[in-house]
Amino acid sequence: MEQLINDLKSQIKEALNLEELSLEEFDENAPLFGEEGIGLDSIDVLEIIVLLEKNYGIRLANPKDGRAIFQSVRTIAEHVQANRKK
Amino acid sequence: MAEQVWAGTTYGNEWMHKWLIRMLRYIDVRILYLFVAVFIIPVCLVLNPSRGIAYRYFRRRIGYGMLKSAWKTYVNHCLFGQVVVDKFAMYAGKKFKIEIEGYDIFIELTKHQEGFVQLSAHIGNYEIAGYTLVCRDKRMNALVFAGEKASVMRNRDKMFADTNINMIAIQPDMSHLFEIDQALQDGEIVSMPADRINGSQKCIEHDFLGAKAKFPLGPFSVATIRALNVVTVNVLKTSATSYKIYVTPLPYDKTATRQEQIKQLSKAYVAELEKRVKQYPEQWYNYFEFWQEG
Repeated sequence: MEQLINDLKSQIKEALNLEELSLEEFDENAPLFGEEGIGLDSIDVLEIIVLLEKNYGIRLANPKDGRAIFQSVRTIAEHVQANRKK
Repeated sequence: MAEQVWAGTTYGNEWMHKWLIRMLRYIDVRILYLFVAVFIIPVCLVLNPSRGIAYRYFRRRIGYGMLKSAWKTYVNHCLFGQVVVDKFAMYAGKKFKIEIEGYDIFIELTKHQEGFVQLSAHIGNYEIAGYTLVCRDKRMNALVFAGEKASVMRNRDKMFADTNINMIAIQPDMSHLFEIDQALQDGEIVSMPADRINGSQKCIEHDFLGAKAKFPLGPFSVATIRALNVVTVNVLKTSATSYKIYVTPLPYDKTATRQEQIKQLSKAYVAELEKRVKQYPEQWYNYFEFWQEG
């Protein structure tokens, strides 16, 4: 799990061009959205959706689950671990 | 960054909408146009800040003189009233004469297996396109404001019931993004406006009608993320009973970097929008400070 979290952090950082955020500072439990967290927004979500599809073969079956899955890097990792096809 | 939710909605309450539709079943739209122009618009112009915004648009961006700008501000508000009446006339079952430029482009794209993106703007009356540019084999998904009046949504649902159109409402839980992505993966059409910044505040700046203006990054990001074909569709009112639809392909280099693709695509969109606005300057309905004029 920890390895997957680290991989996801690197992939998200690269895909979203988060140059100012180091991997050490990138807290896997911090909320991805909103002022108190990483501060991503809806456009960034789309990038992560495509990233998950390309790297792990994951397609979101129910759009309503999206918010819960994309809460933090850890929740994404849990979803990836349970549903990955690659 | 905080996301903004658009607070706009169609004017009037459900009761008013219901009566308007009933009335339009029996009377000519021109009678209502006259009523709106004489009794509603003058009051709106006195009470609404849109007066100043529209005047400055005609004066600075279109380059009209003071008197002409004032007159065109009135005409612009009357035309806006007319397109609202036309929407309800459609709900009442009235038909408009529609001419389409570039219909072959739309048909060609619907033949491809992959989906495509259709970008619109707040000029003319885009909703008319939803009743005309439809394809039996490829579902159209239109992004709409979730806070729209229930009566408007019900009427839209009724009107679109026999067409291959699905409404995706913008939701605070971002579920609309997953629906958009799913639709594009399934080879469907996704239609969205690209001239207003809602939700994500990420934007791209372009020269538009002689000054810098900000356009939302989202629609261009959605299109380029899967290197999809993109068209822009603008629907302009040409008379009391007719509209003209312009379908224009927006080219961009799909092998370039994502940032470059977004830049090229948004530039092509803005160029086409500028062309149509110059052609129909009175049908610009973005009543907020669009330009950064210092």
